[in-house]
Amino acid sequence: MRIIIVGGGEIGFALSKTLAGSHEVFVIDQAASVASRFESLDVQFVRGSGSDPDVLERAAIARADVLVACTGLDEVNIVACAVARQLGAPRAFCFVSREEFLELHEQKGLAMFGIERVIWPEAQLAADIERIIRVPGALDAETFADGAIQLVEYRLDASSAIAGHRIADLHLAHGALIVAVRRGEAFFIPRGDSELAHGDRIVVVGTPDGLRDVARRVTTAADGARQRVAIVGGGDVGLRLAERLDAADAADVTIIERSPERGEMIAAQLRRALVLNGDGTDLELLESEDIGRSDVLVSVIDNDERNLFASLLARQLGVRRIITRVSRAANLRLFERVGIDVAISARGAAVASVLHQIQGGTTRLLALVEQGAGRILELDVPEGYASRALRDLAPPHNSIVGAIVRPSEAIVPRGADRIEPGDRLIVFTTHDAADRVRNYFSHVSA
Amino acid sequence: MRLAVIVHVTGTLVRLFAPALLAPLAVAALYREWRDVAGFLVAFATTAIAGVLMRRAGGPAGDDIEQLRRVDGMAIVAATWLLIAHLGAIPYVWAGVDPIDALFESMSGFTTTGATVFTDFAAFGRGIFFWRALTQWLGGLGVIALFVAILPRLAIAGRELFFAEAAGPTDEKLTPKLRQTAIALWQVYVALSVAEVMALLLAGMPLFDAVCHAFTTLAAGGFSPHPLSIAGYNSAAVDWIITGFMFAAGANFAIQYRAARGGHVALVQDEEFRAYLAVTVIAVVALLPFLAMDGLTPLEALRHASFQAVSILTTTGYASVDFELWSDQAKMVLFILMFVGGCAGSAAGGPKVVRHILMARLTMRELKRTLHPRGVLPVKLGGHVVPEHTLRDVQVFMLFYMLAFAVGATVVVALGADLISGITASIACLGNIGPGLNAVGPMANFADLHPVSKIVLTLEMWIGRLEVITVLVFFRSEPWRSARWA
Repeated sequence: MRIIIVGGGEIGFALSKTLAGSHEVFVIDQAASVASRFESLDVQFVRGSGSDPDVLERAAIARADVLVACTGLDEVNIVACAVARQLGAPRAFCFVSREEFLELHEQKGLAMFGIERVIWPEAQLAADIERIIRVPGALDAETFADGAIQLVEYRLDASSAIAGHRIADLHLAHGALIVAVRRGEAFFIPRGDSELAHGDRIVVVGTPDGLRDVARRVTTAADGARQRVAIVGGGDVGLRLAERLDAADAADVTIIERSPERGEMIAAQLRRALVLNGDGTDLELLESEDIGRSDVLVSVIDNDERNLFASLLARQLGVRRIITRVSRAANLRLFERVGIDVAISARGAAVASVLHQIQGGTTRLLALVEQGAGRILELDVPEGYASRALRDLAPPHNSIVGAIVRPSEAIVPRGADRIEPGDRLIVFTTHDAADRVRNYFSHVSA
Repeated sequence: MRLAVIVHVTGTLVRLFAPALLAPLAVAALYREWRDVAGFLVAFATTAIAGVLMRRAGGPAGDDIEQLRRVDGMAIVAATWLLIAHLGAIPYVWAGVDPIDALFESMSGFTTTGATVFTDFAAFGRGIFFWRALTQWLGGLGVIALFVAILPRLAIAGRELFFAEAAGPTDEKLTPKLRQTAIALWQVYVALSVAEVMALLLAGMPLFDAVCHAFTTLAAGGFSPHPLSIAGYNSAAVDWIITGFMFAAGANFAIQYRAARGGHVALVQDEEFRAYLAVTVIAVVALLPFLAMDGLTPLEALRHASFQAVSILTTTGYASVDFELWSDQAKMVLFILMFVGGCAGSAAGGPKVVRHILMARLTMRELKRTLHPRGVLPVKLGGHVVPEHTLRDVQVFMLFYMLAFAVGATVVVALGADLISGITASIACLGNIGPGLNAVGPMANFADLHPVSKIVLTLEMWIGRLEVITVLVFFRSEPWRSARWA
């Protein structure tokens, strides 16, 4: 495929890096300084403005299969997409950073410019964080099939009752399945005889009922109790997250913002949340406001160092769960290693979803787990598929069918459950096995 | 202040007001009350001449109303109301009322207070009672609002006038043009008035009484041509009809206009209206047990509790029963209601529900601030942040309002009234309610007070109707020192 990427920032670089191996990639950026960064990749760098038709022509826009606009300027991205579509590019993806453009798209406003998809990474991040907060004690949370199937990740503390046991001996409820374990740097799909250990992070897929049973045994965080949430940083992510929690009246929210003007703007928008004017790294402020008693602290300043500092202070004050935004991908593992419960990046999820959509196929990527080490894929079992029991299948190594979704029910399957034509499968896989899973099930269906 | 402009515009308004005196003249003529016809004729002539002379006196310099400043607007409004009250008193004086009493009655009319010094109702003709009712009806929505509606030229400069007169801390316009807003408000007002006349006629009230009561109900005024007020009709139907229209008079007309046009959501969504409704319900429920203890049947208790609570809350001041005879507990409920008032943008007086909401939120905010010194704590109304300057205005208003109340009460008590009468007379006049308790109760009147007390109370009505600041600003020397003719 011939892919044009407008904007050589973090997102552009991450996309290029992944796509360069198997596709013909053009990168357009105005800054000469950016070019050197792309020299290490097998891509064609074109200097100029992505909204300039001449520049797009130089990147052979007419023969391109897809254009992704991901500069830091929303207007430039929109114009680049519109011009590219005029010049013959069949598909255009547009990154934005402001709410009004996303809303426009929902009203079909940007479809007018031929834009296939508008991606707002910060909004996605806020939604992801909200889901995690809503599940007490969880390190990650996703929902599929309209909430019938959920994925939750927990850490097994020293107090956890299930650590030190083999999975088969746990006799988990029928509606729950441990699909993955991270132990140190290792990430694997466990079997019945795998033994769980303290400090393991386990990924569980299940129905709401099944997960409730798991939660009782894994975490001491009370279900249903009203949570106290502290948010450090009232930027796009912080405000949007606070708005979502506020609208759902799901938690007592305190949000700390450094700029007085921004603070007033935030306070005007939120109904219940308490807005504090100050610095999230100001220990005195954190102590006087009793931030240590929060159930969750979310640090979403647009600066990795200050995020880390605020998070570590909160850890010291005794906050139980800490979710921290990370801008530089290289910092993700580092943050978790120094004690942050959840390190999460706005761009990671957005980039992965775009990649998947570009590369296509019959499967859909539903979610990334553990920063992309694990993936949740969704695939449809075609008509004409010969029904057979799950235990008779030999799916690729490092993959597991987490759920079968039918119009009438959503189940977490056991060996005896049969896969029928028309079923929708939710498959968990490690990232290296993702392609094999895709091929295996399309092969089965053939 | 530019005096020429103030004199000129005030003269214009007074001249415009003159024809209003022809309506009671016609009524008096209809009932062949020739003495009163002469009185109204004299008042009309005086008013018209005064208006014309003031316009002349203002000269060409006075015609420059394009750049009316805020203080000029306030001066015009304050002066117009004061002048009209004096001119409107002429028919009473002609009919034999003492001049101080006549001014009291006239100011009580225009400010929709409804406090009266008339003792013997039989001494007056129908023309006089019609005039009393009409002054309230004109004053209810505001004379300036009326003139803005009928005089396009005034609308240019009318903004300052309009909002200096309007009730409550509001500056909302229904339409982009001020004149259309004024017309829309008058449409609501007239429509409600006509509806009430119809309803009262159906309930068996004579036409003359029905018109007078419609005028004084929608204005939240409270004058009645009947010496026993509404109690004199002794009809449950009449009580309930008037309760309903009093409630409408105390609600924001702009929102009623929108509700009438675009469904009822406007009313439900309005935070002040919901609070207004809640206060009404709470007051009625609070009154019920006390009235039941006094031996009323449940239905009667509900009827009089509703009527009296709404009457006092909306600052109308009608009586469906002599509530002076109620227990102290029940009277306490009414006394508290005297300090509330209706909604902003209504015909009601008092501090207004919205100011109480804002004061309550300000208090809560200050409490919260002691717990969260670094908190960003805006005060909101209807989901929107209320600007700090508006909050300051509200606090200043409340401060001066209570100050004016205290000064008035002190004077009235010092000059011989008993404590309860003095206190309630002061708040009843400042809040444009009408009757107080004890010696100034619903079946008594203000006639026996000391003449100086009457003057002070007259001033309180004026100050209260123009929402304190518009008048009190002229008690400072600054506007006077900076005053020039042109």
